[in-house]
Amino acid sequence: MSSPEDVLHLKQLKETEPIQAAWDNWISTREALRETTALLDDPELRSMASEEYTVLTQSLTDIVKKTFPRILVPPSRTAHLSALMELKSGVGGSEASLFLEEMLRMYLRLAQESRWKATVVASNRLDSGGVKDAVVEVKGAGAYDALQWESGVHRVQRVPATEQSGRVHTSAVAVVILPLIEESDAEKEELYSMDDIKIEVMRARGAGGQHVNKTESAVRLTHIPSGITVAMQDERSQHQNRRRAFQVLASRLMQVKLRREMEARRASRRNLVKGADRSDKIRTYNYAQERVTDHRIGLSLMNLTSMMEGDGLQDFIAALRRDHEETQMEDMLLEE
Amino acid sequence: MTLALLSSRLGARQAALEYQWMMRATTAVPLDEMLARRVAGEPLQYILGDQPFGPLTIKLRSPVLIPRPETEHWTIRLAELFRPPTRQLSVLDLGTGTGCIPLLLCHLLPAGTVRARGIDISSDAVKLAGENAALCGFSASTAGSARNTFQPIQASFLDPLFPDKNLGVDPPFDLVTSNPPYISWAEYLELPASVTHYEDPKALFGGPDGLDFYHAIAALVARRGFLNPGAVVAVEVGDGQADRVQQIFQSTADLKSEIWLDPWKKKRTVVARSALAI
Repeated sequence: MSSPEDVLHLKQLKETEPIQAAWDNWISTREALRETTALLDDPELRSMASEEYTVLTQSLTDIVKKTFPRILVPPSRTAHLSALMELKSGVGGSEASLFLEEMLRMYLRLAQESRWKATVVASNRLDSGGVKDAVVEVKGAGAYDALQWESGVHRVQRVPATEQSGRVHTSAVAVVILPLIEESDAEKEELYSMDDIKIEVMRARGAGGQHVNKTESAVRLTHIPSGITVAMQDERSQHQNRRRAFQVLASRLMQVKLRREMEARRASRRNLVKGADRSDKIRTYNYAQERVTDHRIGLSLMNLTSMMEGDGLQDFIAALRRDHEETQMEDMLLEE
Repeated sequence: MTLALLSSRLGARQAALEYQWMMRATTAVPLDEMLARRVAGEPLQYILGDQPFGPLTIKLRSPVLIPRPETEHWTIRLAELFRPPTRQLSVLDLGTGTGCIPLLLCHLLPAGTVRARGIDISSDAVKLAGENAALCGFSASTAGSARNTFQPIQASFLDPLFPDKNLGVDPPFDLVTSNPPYISWAEYLELPASVTHYEDPKALFGGPDGLDFYHAIAALVARRGFLNPGAVVAVEVGDGQADRVQQIFQSTADLKSEIWLDPWKKKRTVVARSALAI
């Protein structure tokens, strides 16, 4: 039997493996380069050696520029978490709802490509077409870390299909990404105490019991200390809505906790960091120019079609992740 | 068109929800037909053919009583009373209907700790409860000692000779549950058509004052050797009946009880406990 201490040591050992691997790689590549350099003076082997010299030099540069810095980035505390995604149409009315539906498809496709299991757990479809708001559960390791950059206001500029005069409209969809917290995680993280939660059933039921067979399953939770409320009515039973509501509540509280932790770290470094307020406009989708711009990193790609119908979103997520890692490294350097 | 009718019947919000549930339903019934039946007043639960009850999905057919959220709520709370289980529980559910109460107990309590029987006078109910036992994996016929089991039995528990020796209902019990018919004469006339036109009157009508079945249950559990020491008797009651049912248990069976509220803050369940030592 292994003791808790053993487990801890093994975990530490496991975490240092990438460092050892990177170092071994560096040493062996440098050794190879040294041997190749010696061959450069050999008239018969020169051309072969010079080719190899170029390749090895490139490898060493990559190790210095990419591999080593990546090791410095602390492992993500949220790497194992799934995500809960809320989309709400904003300014632009029905056009915003139409765009929301397209965004929903974009995220469902990303989930499929990334082998996450995505389920739309609540949605408000409009008779006129489009989706007014939606909640999507995205299950799978890494889902939260990848999707967290999607939080914020997404702006679309295009001529709506419904517009007769051909005028360009600007509408917006707000996205909130929360870490999806399972019941077991909620306990571990000590996110709330049951005494702090008020559970309400939504509508009156008259005498109730055998007198009524109407489906009445809506539930509302209020977390009294934070004032956060969660209402759920999309499931057919009270029990299901209650479970879902608790999951959403735990996810919101987890997000508050993560943000607080992050702010505490930053405050200790007395470092100004660009905020990710959910009210900030983060991205623009411009149909006339086939352009998508992410305002946080100033990245514009002419890939709108690939974004809405292919895997263009992954380019943005990769760029945002890189930017995040660089910021983390800068933070660390400033700390020294 | 039908959706607009549904909306005018139920209100836009409820209609939208029910429409989504119908679209997601796994039944072979076409959507148009489901909508038409709903507009005609049939309860959604019969149209969809099932009802979630706790984490379980209970199969449903008219006229067997539709499981209510109030019952789901107190059954989950009841299971908590027996956690962690200190011994094997012998459970009797009187007027079992779909079997939802004992099946949820089987699901919520650790494997191998529950042996439940459910009594119902209706052959429709007994057949459906048997199907549900099989669907939920608690059929008594495929027994193994490490599983919880539920067996529905057709009988009348109002019969003075109940339980017949050959019925397989053998006291003593550790837990007796019931959601007996509790609607009075006067109230029966006021019920919505979705209840009276589709649900079995035998599952609803509780005699002139709605209390007939509580007298019968109290008399039954008052019999010598019917309950184990420390046994629990939990019965659902109608709006305004809790205090009188509490008195019935006190006077007929000498049982002390407490009253549980449902999520709508109505007195919904009378929970009595027999003395620990004799």
